Amino acid sequence: MRKFLLATASVIVGAALAQTAAVAQAPVPDNLEKLSNFQSTGTTEFTFVEQSGDYADGIKKNLERVKMPPGFKIGLYAVVPDARHMAVGPQGVVVFVGTRKDKVWSVTDRNKDRVADEVKDFAPSLKFAIPNGPCFSKDGFLYIAEQNRVLVYPAAEFFYESPDVAAFNVVKQGELIPADQESYNHTARVCKIGPDGKIYISLGQPFNVAPKENLETNTKWGIGGIIRMKTDGTDREVFTYGVRNSVGHDFDPKTGDLWFTDNQVDGMGDDIPPGEINHQTAMGQHFGHPWYGGGSVRTTEYAGEEVPVDVVMPAAEQVAHAADLGMSFYSGKMFPEKYNNAIFSAQHGSWNRTTPVGARVMVTFIDDEGNAKTEPFAEGWIDENDEYLGRPVDVATLRDGSILVSDDLAGAIYRIWYEGN
Amino acid sequence: MLRALFLGLGGVFLAQAVFVSAAVAEVPLGDPAAGRKAAGMCRTCHGIDGFAKIPIAPHIGGEPAPYLVHQLIAFRNGTRTHEMMSVVAKSLTDQAIVDLAAWYASQKAVASLPAGVSEDAAPEACAACHGAEGLSQMEDVPNLAGETTMYIDTQLKAFRNGKRSHEIMSEISAELSSDQIRSLAEWYAAVNLEIKPPE
Repeated sequence: MRKFLLATASVIVGAALAQTAAVAQAPVPDNLEKLSNFQSTGTTEFTFVEQSGDYADGIKKNLERVKMPPGFKIGLYAVVPDARHMAVGPQGVVVFVGTRKDKVWSVTDRNKDRVADEVKDFAPSLKFAIPNGPCFSKDGFLYIAEQNRVLVYPAAEFFYESPDVAAFNVVKQGELIPADQESYNHTARVCKIGPDGKIYISLGQPFNVAPKENLETNTKWGIGGIIRMKTDGTDREVFTYGVRNSVGHDFDPKTGDLWFTDNQVDGMGDDIPPGEINHQTAMGQHFGHPWYGGGSVRTTEYAGEEVPVDVVMPAAEQVAHAADLGMSFYSGKMFPEKYNNAIFSAQHGSWNRTTPVGARVMVTFIDDEGNAKTEPFAEGWIDENDEYLGRPVDVATLRDGSILVSDDLAGAIYRIWYEGN
Repeated sequence: MLRALFLGLGGVFLAQAVFVSAAVAEVPLGDPAAGRKAAGMCRTCHGIDGFAKIPIAPHIGGEPAPYLVHQLIAFRNGTRTHEMMSVVAKSLTDQAIVDLAAWYASQKAVASLPAGVSEDAAPEACAACHGAEGLSQMEDVPNLAGETTMYIDTQLKAFRNGKRSHEIMSEISAELSSDQIRSLAEWYAAVNLEIKPPE
């Protein structure tokens, strides 16, 4: 507890400085100021999500179709509307789940039977805007990256039981990107805390192919890239360039390198360009957008133009249009040895391919030389009529070594565990 | 304050609405059955009946056909842009556009306010065209019922900063603060929407 108070104190100082600077500006539009001072806002009502009944039963029935390697099982962990990216609390008490709407859900498994008992909204007194990306620091600070703001919630696993939580600005409203660059599509931000203790945040660029007139702004702000900063919001810099719309990244626990997925250009045909899992080995590397539409396929808009940057090609190409989103290195102890340090990633599924592809969980194995090879791990969410029964979004590991998979179409989180034969 | 602003604008946009309705009357009729077939490319996001499957996509079932036609044409010719819709609309013929519009317009949107909420509290400026419950009151106007808060929020901001333009909406949104936009969006997002098959 004492450690927590000290840690919080430094954040409060940071927040206080930020507020002094903001005095001349418009007042904070919701009750963030009150929460930053630990005052009650008077909001007392949680929204609880029903966890049993017909809806849950329907999801469980769909899971009977899901095929995985021998020895693996899948079950419904929680009904969570619009479930997107997940952050598992370091104490193992609660999983926070983002959405592309205006809610963040907290998912609690109190009796530890590996099925959630309670799903309720997090911090209902705060107004969120596309709070897609929660991530945790090891010491229990929850960060949530929204459309144009990043807040930190110290000791979120403790405070979430109350409608009022402690909350502070990391990046104030309107400072993540310029307000005139705000969009709804390609605005599902994700974050992770890197081995350097900094927060890494993806910033999708909102076009199919980034137009020329935006490139300067994009480069400056890291739009169409990944930025990093200290967790108090200072020392912001662009870490990754040339990304179209990355909605998943994680750090290799062995090397500390950043790996990320990227969604590639639409409208070039059913089978090109490939999707990507990328491997970054140094700050400032460029991954090809908008000159490349995915892999080595050049975009129509920039065809024939000399590429003015050195481009890092993907570590593993993925099926075109499958929409690779959230990813997570596996460091649990439950799965067989071959999965140690493999990447589990989610394919959301294509939206306008003639025959849909994706809607599955993939696994990528990386050999000692860094070569990556991807294969399907769990699939079966596209039925015989080419309709989606679910669309996986993100993968996270629970402390027991099982993995969670979120699904924003079904509004669910699944748990996959290994029983052996 | 908000109320006074809306009342002041009321006369302006009613006059313009008459003009808009006259302009859209020339849109040819489409074939709903052909539209249903073509809607295979819409359904992953908007649903086959027009109840959206993803939050960034609006519900289009039961939307007035002229509105749908105009938006698809705007996406096709680039006057409205969206990463996905610009790609899709590029491939659409005039006939496909009216057919798709006919299919989705043939669905019936049914809206109801949340329990305990009175329609008297509806945002006045919006309600004249979009209804207190978010159902369109005239031909070239979309339903807002049950759209996500963030969809309405981003559209109003797009009108405000000029990324999207419309003679009435650009003017109305120019006067709105971000807080006002958010609260208008929340009003319509809270409405319960059902989309029923054509009778």
